[in-house]
Amino acid sequence: MKKITIPIGPQHPALKEPISLRMTIEGEVIKDADVRLGYNHRGIEKLAESKTYIQNIYLMERICGICSHSHTTCYVQAVEALCGLEVPKRGLYIRTLVSELERIHSHLLWLGVAAHEAGFDSLFMYTWRDREVVMDLLEIISGNRVHYAINTIGGVRRDISEQQKEKILEGIEFLRKRTEYYTNLGTTEPTFVARISGVGKLPKEKAIELCAVGPTLRASDVASDIRKDDPYAVYDEIPFDVCTADTCDVLGRVVVRVKELIESYKIVEFVIKNLPAGEIKIKAPRKVPEGETVSRYEAPRGENIHYVKSNGTDKPERLKVRAPTLANYPATIEMLKNGFVADIPLIFAAIDPCICCAERVVELIDVKSGRSDIMTFSEIKRKYFCEKKRETL
Amino acid sequence: MKLKPAAFIPELLRHIFKKPATVRYPFEKLKVPDDFRGTPVLKPELCIVCRACVRDCPAFAIEITILSEEEKKYKMTIHNDRCIHCAQCVESCPTKALFMDTEFEIATDSRLKLKAEYIYSRQKKTDQKSQQT
Amino acid sequence: MSILKSLIYLLIYPGLLFLFVYSTFCEWFDRKLYARLQNRVGPAYTGRAGILQPVADFFKLLFKEDIIPERADRVIFSSLPVVGLAIVLTAGLYLPLWNIDVSIPSYNSFQGDIIVVLYLLSLPTLIFFLAGWHSTNFFSTLGGVRVLTMLFGYEVPLFLAILSPAIVADSWRLAEIADFYQKCPFLLLFQLTGFFVAVIALQAKLERTPFDIPHAETEIVGGTFTEYSGKKLAFFRLMTDIEMVVGSGLIATVFMAGFPGNAFVSFVNFIIKTLIVISILSLIRAACSRIRIDQMVNFSWKWLTPLAVMQLFISILVKGVFWRILQ
Repeated sequence: MKKITIPIGPQHPALKEPISLRMTIEGEVIKDADVRLGYNHRGIEKLAESKTYIQNIYLMERICGICSHSHTTCYVQAVEALCGLEVPKRGLYIRTLVSELERIHSHLLWLGVAAHEAGFDSLFMYTWRDREVVMDLLEIISGNRVHYAINTIGGVRRDISEQQKEKILEGIEFLRKRTEYYTNLGTTEPTFVARISGVGKLPKEKAIELCAVGPTLRASDVASDIRKDDPYAVYDEIPFDVCTADTCDVLGRVVVRVKELIESYKIVEFVIKNLPAGEIKIKAPRKVPEGETVSRYEAPRGENIHYVKSNGTDKPERLKVRAPTLANYPATIEMLKNGFVADIPLIFAAIDPCICCAERVVELIDVKSGRSDIMTFSEIKRKYFCEKKRETL
Repeated sequence: MKLKPAAFIPELLRHIFKKPATVRYPFEKLKVPDDFRGTPVLKPELCIVCRACVRDCPAFAIEITILSEEEKKYKMTIHNDRCIHCAQCVESCPTKALFMDTEFEIATDSRLKLKAEYIYSRQKKTDQKSQQT
Repeated sequence: MSILKSLIYLLIYPGLLFLFVYSTFCEWFDRKLYARLQNRVGPAYTGRAGILQPVADFFKLLFKEDIIPERADRVIFSSLPVVGLAIVLTAGLYLPLWNIDVSIPSYNSFQGDIIVVLYLLSLPTLIFFLAGWHSTNFFSTLGGVRVLTMLFGYEVPLFLAILSPAIVADSWRLAEIADFYQKCPFLLLFQLTGFFVAVIALQAKLERTPFDIPHAETEIVGGTFTEYSGKKLAFFRLMTDIEMVVGSGLIATVFMAGFPGNAFVSFVNFIIKTLIVISILSLIRAACSRIRIDQMVNFSWKWLTPLAVMQLFISILVKGVFWRILQ
């Protein structure tokens, strides 16, 4: 049969954000895939060089809406390492609490989205209804449902009262019962299991070779988790297990994320019960001493890396973000080969894509000749944009 | 893993008799917590014009202009259309002159209507100081 | 006088007007039940409890822009929705509503009309395939191919299941079958397997979850309907709704002893029985996720067809045992 190339994206109902996947297919089987990024590029790394360290906290938060706390914490940890600050214990415990609540909210969101891509709309509605409990808890703690802004350089901004602690424990108890029901449902409902079992296989050696991160890696039976390998905040004091599955397919990824949900409930209860008394932050200097550092964090999607280089002033010299989805793209292309066209949305949704996190570079391709080019910004302005008068408000 | 056909049906049928989980906004509204980060509001009598809020705002949403140097009259404009509701200004202020209220239904049809202006003077405070000494 | 009755039968009840109005009511019922099963509200604001929502959707689509792709054949592309609507409306005329006299065959009730209804209900599948093919879009072609592949799966069990009660009733005429079961309803208990097979096969014919593979929204954009917009899409949606009413009417006639009584009583009977079948269809829709096309064909040839054949055996046995009693 002849090979044809079909584009999935940039606009497609299966994708929540624009990305272009060009698949070469033969009948209903995919032979090859090509990824083109850059549709969601916002110039955040460049913008961060013209804002102060304190203003950058809020810029980092807005890289992504679902994993906003991971980007802030990773950045703040890097700056604190540069300044040599020792954050008080209570501040670190509250940071861990919000991290785990964010992980719970992100995994419940993912479960709903995966069910929707598979056509199982009822599970989608149920998981998102239960996610409202976590969103309300986060609103009570931090003042907003998304973009919690609870971090500051040197600690956290808000404290937790006794009443809030009780509400959190009640919410976790309710969510635990619902998660056990979903585990049961996800693994025994025949149409859903038929859809996700055996789809998107990624063998263990390939997963390590292509540098997959997060639940995608853990579902291929590799027990790698930054919270255990390189503990930050207070993860070295909290007992928890790294969750793996050995089926190497989408069903394994569902199982890993649901197991992580249960572990997160245990971590939240431990943190609440053992919250030490004390200060929540220490004063940070406005000018950060010279140096460069790398900070790692286990976001709900995988390993998040921030690199900060400072030059003694109050604005960073270079800030680089490596989001986990960017590391999972090569693994996705491997998974798409020899799969069915009908499975494309599920395979892509199984890595939990957060495309706006991963947009750090734009490739300029000439549509007619297919050649890719490097152009300076002034060339682009001269060739494609004309000067317009803008009115100031 | 044993597969159970129609595993979902009892849960579904139970939901026919429950009240829907939807909140029918705007006919019903949910209550927000007290320390919700809404729009920033100034208490003019506490402001000492140190400009820490102007420096720290990520969105350049606060502007302080001097109306008259001798009378020490100032005008602060809070651009609510630029504000990202992060409450950094509340935290940076040394005298706690700014606080966040719980207003979030601030949508209107022109950006210019979203600016809040405060005209105040620091004279009262220096008067009080000179009275005390 | 009979000309007047025929005109009313064709145009008002149970012809055009009744089918239009009742299909919008059934769509509302289906959407509301589906939403309540998922703990949501469903249509709520148009009319009392949202009952005018499908009508509003239909009129909104009529006013939207109508685009025909450049390389598509204009005549076929534009006429397919109208032809499809005509087919399902004709199939609806053979349901035995308002049939006063069983002994006189008329233009809408004669020996073999069950076969005519089944044939007319398989034509929409061909219409969907032609719609997908003539859209000259890759996603539509893929959807059209999937529609025909599904046809190979569900058509045989549906035919076998619907014809089993006809074999016991010893007639190929819908009005006579309904009449037979009204006289001895306990024979319906033997047709239970056939009822379930027919309901699942009807769900596949109507292309609803778990069988909405041809127009899977998250995979192939709109499937066969990708390029349709405006008036043509409005007619296709109306056609799907009326197909749901006619299909459940057919199942209610054959498996639930038809619609006995005079005009008003049979009307109430029709509404109750079709709503029961539609509730079962909505429940199946809410409880399953979409399956792949190869899994669907596998499922229907491994499970549905053997069950339908078993139902055929049971019908033949029943007929042999009760033949003396019936004579």
